[in-house]
Amino acid sequence: MKIKWLRIDSRLIHGQVANNWVNHVGAGTIIAANDSAAKDDLRKTLLLQVAPGRTKSYVMSIDKTARCYKNPSYDNLEVLLVVENPTDVLRLIDAGVEVTQVNVGGITFKEGMTLISEAVSVSPEDVEAFKELDKRGVKLTLQQLPNTGASDFMNRLKSKKLI
Amino acid sequence: MVAIVIATHGNLSEALIGTAKMIFGNMENVAQVTFKPGEGIENLLDKYQTASGQFDDEPILFLVDLFGGSPYNAASRFVARQENMDIVTGVNLPMFVEVLGKRLAGGTLEELVQTAKLAGADGIKSFKEIFSHQKIANSAKEDEGDELG
Repeated sequence: MKIKWLRIDSRLIHGQVANNWVNHVGAGTIIAANDSAAKDDLRKTLLLQVAPGRTKSYVMSIDKTARCYKNPSYDNLEVLLVVENPTDVLRLIDAGVEVTQVNVGGITFKEGMTLISEAVSVSPEDVEAFKELDKRGVKLTLQQLPNTGASDFMNRLKSKKLI
Repeated sequence: MVAIVIATHGNLSEALIGTAKMIFGNMENVAQVTFKPGEGIENLLDKYQTASGQFDDEPILFLVDLFGGSPYNAASRFVARQENMDIVTGVNLPMFVEVLGKRLAGGTLEELVQTAKLAGADGIKSFKEIFSHQKIANSAKEDEGDELG
């Protein structure tokens, strides 16, 4: 499996935004890797409903995503992989998925989180996971849409005095 | 790059562009034209002249709200004798966003017109109609093995 783009977006598959990224990175397949969505029949069905029509789309657990990643029959498959948070990126890496860069796209604000940009908030747990990803040499870039500016995510955490 | 003019009754055009930026991000060569109570076709023609003056000789696609309304009627007078302009009516957010995407991919005026017509109509769906034809996921079974699904 060739991961053309790995994006953190807590909305997972999300209408036109998914469409824009698929066009931009040229992937024919979207995988939303998320344990709770993969276990929830209705949520899974509704996520697949809004996936761009011309792509193949899947909602799978982190473990199953890693198993499919290693299946040689998908060696040439070009995938846009979407996860909910940085902890799930670490789990994918620990399960054997090679990750060199991550697009931090959208994490919805909840109580106890710090707002980093218009579209991204982080919890203390997220900050720890981002630090670990950075330590492992993963390049983290903050970018909401294909044609909005990209900036270094760790610098952003620094400027917000979170690290 | 094809230029786009969004022209509507009231402030819809301005709001539509602002909203599209949430989904598409920044955009160039897009102008808004509003048609306010008390204005007439002549005002609109002036506004179209000003809007098109910002673009260098690029083809122009007008996306207007209502077929037969003043923004359309004025645009039709403006466009009728121009080879490299066209108008599509019924502008909505799906239409505008798809046209922006197609334009970014190098679409010609003719291609953008087709995209606008298709996307404008295709963005209109009934949840119940789709849902009644959808296979409901069976997550317990589907999370086994190493095959996609």
